[in-house]
Amino acid sequence: MSATPLLDIRDLKVDIPVRDGIVHALRGVDVRVEPGEVVGLIGESGGGKSMLARAAIGMLPYGTIADGEVLFGGRDVLEMTKSELLEHRGHGVAMCFQSPRAALEPLRTVRKQLADRLRPHRGLTGKAAVEESERLLRSVGIVDLERVMSAFPHELSGGMAQRVMIALALACDPGLLLADEPTTGLDVTLTRDALDLLRRLAVEDGRGVLLISHDIAAAAKVCDRIVVLRSGEVVEEGPTQEVLNAPASDYTRLLIDAVPDLDRPITPMPVPPETAAPTVKVEDVHLHYRARFGRKGHHALRGVSLEVRPGETVGIVGESGSGKTTLARMLVGLVEPTEGAASVAGVDLMHLGRSGKRALSRAAQMVFQDPLGALDPRRTILDAITEPLLPLGVSAADRRARAAAVLARTGLDETFLTRYPHQLSGGQAQRVGIARALVADPQLIVFDEPTSALDVTVQAQILELIKELNVDGRRAQLFVSHDLATVRSFCDRVVVVYLGEIIEQGTTTGVFDNPQHEYTKALLAAAPRLHRGDVAAPPSKGTK
Amino acid sequence: MATIMTKRTKGMPKRRSDVAVNVMLTTGAVLVLGVAILAIFAPLFTAWGPVQIDPTAIRQAPSPEHILGTDQNGMDVWSRVLYSGRIDLGVAIASVAIAVVIGSLIGVVAGYFGGWLDAIVMRILEIFQAFPTFILALAVAAMLGPGIGNLIAVVGVVSIPSYARLVRAEVRTVRELAYVDAAKTSGIGSVKVIARHVLPNSLMAVRTVAPLNVGWAMLALAGLSFLGLGVPVPEPEWGAMISQGTSDIVSGRLWTTIPPGIALVVCVLGFSLLGEGLQERETRRKSR
Repeated sequence: MSATPLLDIRDLKVDIPVRDGIVHALRGVDVRVEPGEVVGLIGESGGGKSMLARAAIGMLPYGTIADGEVLFGGRDVLEMTKSELLEHRGHGVAMCFQSPRAALEPLRTVRKQLADRLRPHRGLTGKAAVEESERLLRSVGIVDLERVMSAFPHELSGGMAQRVMIALALACDPGLLLADEPTTGLDVTLTRDALDLLRRLAVEDGRGVLLISHDIAAAAKVCDRIVVLRSGEVVEEGPTQEVLNAPASDYTRLLIDAVPDLDRPITPMPVPPETAAPTVKVEDVHLHYRARFGRKGHHALRGVSLEVRPGETVGIVGESGSGKTTLARMLVGLVEPTEGAASVAGVDLMHLGRSGKRALSRAAQMVFQDPLGALDPRRTILDAITEPLLPLGVSAADRRARAAAVLARTGLDETFLTRYPHQLSGGQAQRVGIARALVADPQLIVFDEPTSALDVTVQAQILELIKELNVDGRRAQLFVSHDLATVRSFCDRVVVVYLGEIIEQGTTTGVFDNPQHEYTKALLAAAPRLHRGDVAAPPSKGTK
Repeated sequence: MATIMTKRTKGMPKRRSDVAVNVMLTTGAVLVLGVAILAIFAPLFTAWGPVQIDPTAIRQAPSPEHILGTDQNGMDVWSRVLYSGRIDLGVAIASVAIAVVIGSLIGVVAGYFGGWLDAIVMRILEIFQAFPTFILALAVAAMLGPGIGNLIAVVGVVSIPSYARLVRAEVRTVRELAYVDAAKTSGIGSVKVIARHVLPNSLMAVRTVAPLNVGWAMLALAGLSFLGLGVPVPEPEWGAMISQGTSDIVSGRLWTTIPPGIALVVCVLGFSLLGEGLQERETRRKSR
């Protein structure tokens, strides 16, 4: 450890005045980052992670009251003048934002955006700027220089956009890189690449990296030290292995335990009798998204065949763009297949008319990825839950009773019925989403990444709830996810989708223990794992 | 350990303070309500009827008997200004209501279903919008002839396209949202999906534009009347009053034109402040 850390945050308190009082976003936080060190800032939403990053870059929201010191190279960022801040941002600290596609200027090509940064900050123009841009892009592992340089952000894949974002952040050679949830929305393989890149930047260039993440498994892969933040306070701090193997605080243990473990032994679930007629029957289905205005159409599903029997939970795994969400949406009638044969509980999906859609809504329901987004902000929870009952002609009083009953099964009491979506937390909203899917008692529920938008501890609770609700095992369930560990602990069978085709399917244990296809193997190898039990005395399982 | 107030840096858009927004909203409301009350309860504020002729007083300067004087027909100007409010406010609000209802329906249907229906509807609306609004209103008014009902129709119809476009734009975003997908999977028909979810969530822009538009509608109405295409002559209407009074201006009898002019200004200002205040409040709620 050097004498002066790169970033030294001392007793930082940040208060945000709101209409009725003050929100204490940070309550006396100390964080240090040394040159060449990757520090993981872990915590759930509302923990104060983003506020800390904003303080480090000198961008606290207007009206915020900050107390304490944010020392960068010995100077207090909070005391900097405007011109000092301009120098500090970019040269001192640079930020990689959470959603790279949204953080890049949509109307300028990558070449222009890099030039925009190099000109004022480093005085590079013309050929010098182009050469430096190419060097930067190469340093973040982009090979296809020509294409990327002249691409607009929407023409880049998520992983590519993330790299460009990092290249932009590196343009002014900052001492410290702030990465705010850099892997959100990326697939396992891309996540691994992005994290490796951050690690390399720290080791090779001697930069400090502050990695902000809610995903303790991702952070564990690359961080030297981990700082756990909760409600604006540091609850735990230490070297990664120590924190993982012997967490000092209960909250950290909770976070660790909530991560589904790819290596935990699972007991194979009893396979339901083959005699039952399959609920979902999909045979050689193709789905073309039609071309619009001269653009090429998209062949999303290319000959998919799948059967799901009552009582079975089937996991659909694949990267974004693989067609797994299209398959899920097809099964609830949101998109129509173009070729092949498909039915759910006897309802033919090929030519859904008005009556077909109504019949299908009784047979199949979906739980959406973004729980709050799936609720109309202007409608009460009662309205949301009872909507599937409307076409069935259930009386208003009965609807209310059934909504209350189904809500109780998901662990929320009746008072929630009169609330509006903005009054719910993410976890509560997903419970409502599940209640809504259950209310008409469908034969199939499709879960489209039901936990990916939730905090880890909440994820575990929601998964537990989904398991509990199907104890009787009458329903067929499809579980779409890119999270292999969750699928493994959860599903009877696994289907791996790649470029619109099913490349592998089988029992969960079969696929995970003995993957056949190269792609499945790569997917499994890239998944982040928490290396537990490296220390002689394994941590106690924790009190529930 | 200093306590620091981060300040707004240069270049950041200035934000109106909450107090300023509230002042805008209250001022707007007071002006509009003031005019409305004076118009609705006009008989309480004047002894003269709007078309009542005082044969002893023609083109008379303001006096205790006629506080704003009389016009060339011997009608009381103050009384006419008050009663005009009924027609001007009524026609303006009714025409905007028509435009909002029809425009929103067209917009929501075109935006939700998309495809060729959307393409055809939008092209037709574009043809209408290719004409300057007031010129279009003039042409339609000339075709239909004067009359209050026709005026409402004219001023309403010409602003339908802008509402249709506003609503359609929002519908295009809303129809892609997860809760609309959720509604579709619950087996309720398209009409219900639109009525329950799409339309209510697509009226954000319309809600703030409509009050502003009432001000515009009053100006358009007064303009048409000024040109003789609006309210038939003896009826009290601000634009028509100004038109009638133009001959008095040269001879220095300003009391026949200034009062209806001020009334118009007050109304338009009131609706503008209301509209702007509502808009500001809406963006604030979003950013919170």
